[in-house]
Amino acid sequence: MKFHISRQMIYILTLAVVFLIIVFIFAFVFLIPSGKEYRVKRLETKKFSYQVDQIQDEYDNVYSKLKTLQADNRHVISAYKSIFNPTRFSTMYRPHFQSFTLSELTAHSQDGKFAVYEVNTSSLIQSPQGFYDFLDGVNKSDNIIGVNFPIDFKRDGDLIKSSFTMHVYVGNPGHKISE
Amino acid sequence: MQYSFIKPRSKGIVSPEFKLLFFFFSITIVMLFSSYAFLKVKSFMYDSTMDDLMSKSATLKVNIVSMHEDITYIKLQRRHAEGIYTENTVLKESIHNLFDLVPEKITLSQALLKEDELVLYGITPSKEVYEFLLQAPLRSIFHRSYTSYYAMPNGWYSFVSKNYLDRPVQ
Repeated sequence: MKFHISRQMIYILTLAVVFLIIVFIFAFVFLIPSGKEYRVKRLETKKFSYQVDQIQDEYDNVYSKLKTLQADNRHVISAYKSIFNPTRFSTMYRPHFQSFTLSELTAHSQDGKFAVYEVNTSSLIQSPQGFYDFLDGVNKSDNIIGVNFPIDFKRDGDLIKSSFTMHVYVGNPGHKISE
Repeated sequence: MQYSFIKPRSKGIVSPEFKLLFFFFSITIVMLFSSYAFLKVKSFMYDSTMDDLMSKSATLKVNIVSMHEDITYIKLQRRHAEGIYTENTVLKESIHNLFDLVPEKITLSQALLKEDELVLYGITPSKEVYEFLLQAPLRSIFHRSYTSYYAMPNGWYSFVSKNYLDRPVQ
């Protein structure tokens, strides 16, 4: 049996073989490494995305904790931020006293992260009850105020002359709580 | 004059077999390049997503640290404020107790309260009244108590009572 291969067939076969070689070279040099790179990147992104989701969950938890804390301590936070206003303070607490005088506010010391300002007061009260009411009121004031020693009560006719020192605590202005 | 019995057919440069071959080659090349392009584009997109995630992660971490600082600061403020409020309340109770301690027979003219010291000025009908009714309870509160009496023309005594609390040595 005679097997005849035409010249055209040889051309086609040669071309097909050459093309196959080119395809293999392209696949092994470019396509397979790119596929590997793609797979690795997809896996890394998935893994990192999971980590970021965990960080996001932590962020959400801390954020909600901060907001709850801010809501529960709104008065304290604003009290440490507010500037002491002697006129407003006198007006608020004058009803507890017959007369109430405040000295000028002076910088006193540093208590940890809080600046302490000192103000001296002298007042006239009818009975110690006025002073007790004042101490109750001070705890609800716009500032954080501590009444300090020495406290002097002196009889002045039918009234009691009292003088004492108050410390006004102000938060560190450098520390701003994020809203 | 006719030299052939068949009609001549047009003969192109490329035969139909070659055309078919080139057609399949072209499809293969297109598929190869599109796969390669797909992989490259996807890799680029993952790179970009990774960059975004890294930047988001860094921002979240910074915010978490900052919020933790805020939480610590708010807790510190709350503790500090509670301490001040408690001191004010304790002070009120102390003064209340002090004035409740003074019996009706004794009249105070001055009370000076210091951190570890209480100085009382007043008048008493007799030394015994003072000693039994005021000095005894003061002695139970303070570590040291000293009293000086000054006789008054009406037979009463004016007194100065100094009372001290000794702080334990650290």
